[in-house]
Amino acid sequence: MRKIISGNEALAIGAYRASASFASGYPGTPSSEILEHAKTFEDIKVQWASNEKSAFEQALGASIAGRRSFVTMKHVGLNVAADSLMSASYTGVNAGFVVVVADDPGMHSSQNEQDTRLFAKFAQVPILEPSDAKEAMGFMQYAFALSEEHDTPVIVRSTTRVSHTQEMVYFDMHKLGGYENKLLAKDISKYVLVPKNAIARHKKLLERNAKLQKLSNETPLNRIEQGTLNIGIITSGVSYLYAKELLPNANYLKIGLSWPFPIEIAREFVKSLDKVIVIEELEPYIEEQLKAGGIDVEGKKFFPQDGEFNLDIVEEGLVKASFLEKTAKKYFEVPDLPARPPVLCPGCPHRPIFDILHSLRVYVAGDIGCYTLGAAAPLSSIHTTVCMGASISMGYGIAKATLNHKIVSVIGDSTFLHTGLQPLIDAYVNNVAYTVIILDNSITAMTGGQPDATSGFNIKNEPTPKVDLENLVRSIGIKRVFKVDQYDYKATKEIIEQEVNTKELSVIIATRPCVLAPKKIKDTPYVVIADKCIDCKRCLRVGCPAIGYKDKKAYIIEDYCTGCALCANVCPTNAIVKGDTNE
Amino acid sequence: MNKSIIFCGVGGDGIVTASNICANALLRANFDVKKSEVHGMSQRGGSVNAFLIYGKKVYSLLPSKGSVNYMFASEKLEALRNVDYLNETSIVLINDRVVPIVGASIDDYEIDNHLKSFPFEQKIINFNEVAKLHNMEKSVNTIMLGFFSKIIGIDKKYFTRAIADTLNPKLIDINIEAFEIGSNL
Repeated sequence: MRKIISGNEALAIGAYRASASFASGYPGTPSSEILEHAKTFEDIKVQWASNEKSAFEQALGASIAGRRSFVTMKHVGLNVAADSLMSASYTGVNAGFVVVVADDPGMHSSQNEQDTRLFAKFAQVPILEPSDAKEAMGFMQYAFALSEEHDTPVIVRSTTRVSHTQEMVYFDMHKLGGYENKLLAKDISKYVLVPKNAIARHKKLLERNAKLQKLSNETPLNRIEQGTLNIGIITSGVSYLYAKELLPNANYLKIGLSWPFPIEIAREFVKSLDKVIVIEELEPYIEEQLKAGGIDVEGKKFFPQDGEFNLDIVEEGLVKASFLEKTAKKYFEVPDLPARPPVLCPGCPHRPIFDILHSLRVYVAGDIGCYTLGAAAPLSSIHTTVCMGASISMGYGIAKATLNHKIVSVIGDSTFLHTGLQPLIDAYVNNVAYTVIILDNSITAMTGGQPDATSGFNIKNEPTPKVDLENLVRSIGIKRVFKVDQYDYKATKEIIEQEVNTKELSVIIATRPCVLAPKKIKDTPYVVIADKCIDCKRCLRVGCPAIGYKDKKAYIIEDYCTGCALCANVCPTNAIVKGDTNE
Repeated sequence: MNKSIIFCGVGGDGIVTASNICANALLRANFDVKKSEVHGMSQRGGSVNAFLIYGKKVYSLLPSKGSVNYMFASEKLEALRNVDYLNETSIVLINDRVVPIVGASIDDYEIDNHLKSFPFEQKIINFNEVAKLHNMEKSVNTIMLGFFSKIIGIDKKYFTRAIADTLNPKLIDINIEAFEIGSNL
């Protein structure tokens, strides 16, 4: 068939065609849609895990059980699963095991832009870099066979552009060959990494590397494309496509399997060419491999080491490298406009919490999720956001180091269960006094509304048991545990104020569900009674996109307002009322 | 020669869905198609855009600045924000509305003047009004797509099939009707 599919869909189809039967992951842009597509295949047991480490190990277990399996995550997720990766490289696999990692050059939705290729080199596992959806499907299939043949986990590295670009692909839904599941592997010397076994496995790993090195120089994934010009470009991923668009007649060494690096092909490639350059997004990985192999090339001299590439950036680099003539580019200047950053949705249950924290002027350690937007003006009430789960541990550090108990950690339900629980236990046993607010909207909202352990349903929308956060927190032994409904603004404010002023560890669970997922919530919109509006702008300071301002009066956009009543609660003159009120 | 389209608007506007339908229609009209968009945080009410490149053979996932042939903008400020992708020969379709920005005061008059200062062909129509007239507030973008199909010169039969391909079965009929309304404007 001929169909437009995204890179993420292609990865899922590739896994299906390769007879994968088990998949796990933790949602993270730009990787989340891979499992959303994989769940549509009945032959694959698909699930979301609490974090990437758990997901990785579930899939590794399935591989040892003889089932082809894969795990998906975003680049920073691999940091969480790094412990598992580094040692799975020693154990190797039974059935094919593929680790799909989606990097985010340009940080469209991430806290850093680390380059997963360096992780592959570190862990000594092969890494494949597809350039588009078509390659994503093919590489995924190749990855399972490679994993099985060489007894190693294999990383397939996507990027935001590859994952979220849709293109036309010809394919069928037949599985390749007649793959048969293997038996559960019982091999203590291989899968029990006590020092004696691990020492032997490390030697095996080095033998494997030698074989993979040879393979890298032979695989069609690393290919030379002859051109008519006497210049050469060594490139991978999306950079290849931009270069090809701009310089179709150059010679190309297109890298698809980038660790181990195909140094022999590269040596062959550069031999007869006048000048060769490297084009790669983020780290100078290819460039360093070439230089270490004694091949004198430049890359980062012409192309940036940060941000996402596009045609204009690649063109500029090619001009710097004298591969292209500078052409007078003409395009319109964008007028000076106010930026439109992402904001919390109208009716978002996080907004009242940040309005309250803002008014209390407390120091807030934040975390990763929609609620990170509480750091944006006018709420401006988050002071740190570093990585998943860091709110509770950093709040701990700040509170204990300063002996100030007016510190608040804010974390979502999914992030709490990801890596927030252990720091809370630390805080309890070490008697650290501060306040933890769990924003329990019972969904992983930022990445598109994936269920987590508090949701009561799974990725296939089947009912599941769910974790009760209050019971969980109380079971630690923490005494001061409160539940609040953020739409009851006054009661919520009272409890937060009381706990911030209490010199003891307390946990407040805010229970309003997300307004978008699993179902959209919309109540009667509110309106501003213009005569009563005194132009104090208090309602504007809650930062709601449904509130506009014109002719010295606030007004509410009916289409956007969900009727959460936060603005009505903060209005000092009661000028904001429910739309169906008779006034 | 390949052609390209930029879709731009505000997160939650349905820009991505509109671009999906359009990509599917171009595929049915036998073009090679690549479509690029970004998900995640930007979708929370922030500026959103999607690019579509089509032609005989497409390599690049993104068009270069000053090279885009058509713009489909669901909001005027977002149209202005992306003018660097356009040139004198571009044709631009804009839904005549402004979505407020939290914490910013916006002068409608100034926005209109900015738009007027550009030499490319502009069709600015209030599609929300059109939708209201037909009681189809939820299909504003599809009405707009109907009009847009005439601008890019792609037969509406491809769009009708693309709508059936892309949308939830319950929404197909009303959207095909909406598309008709737009293509007859």
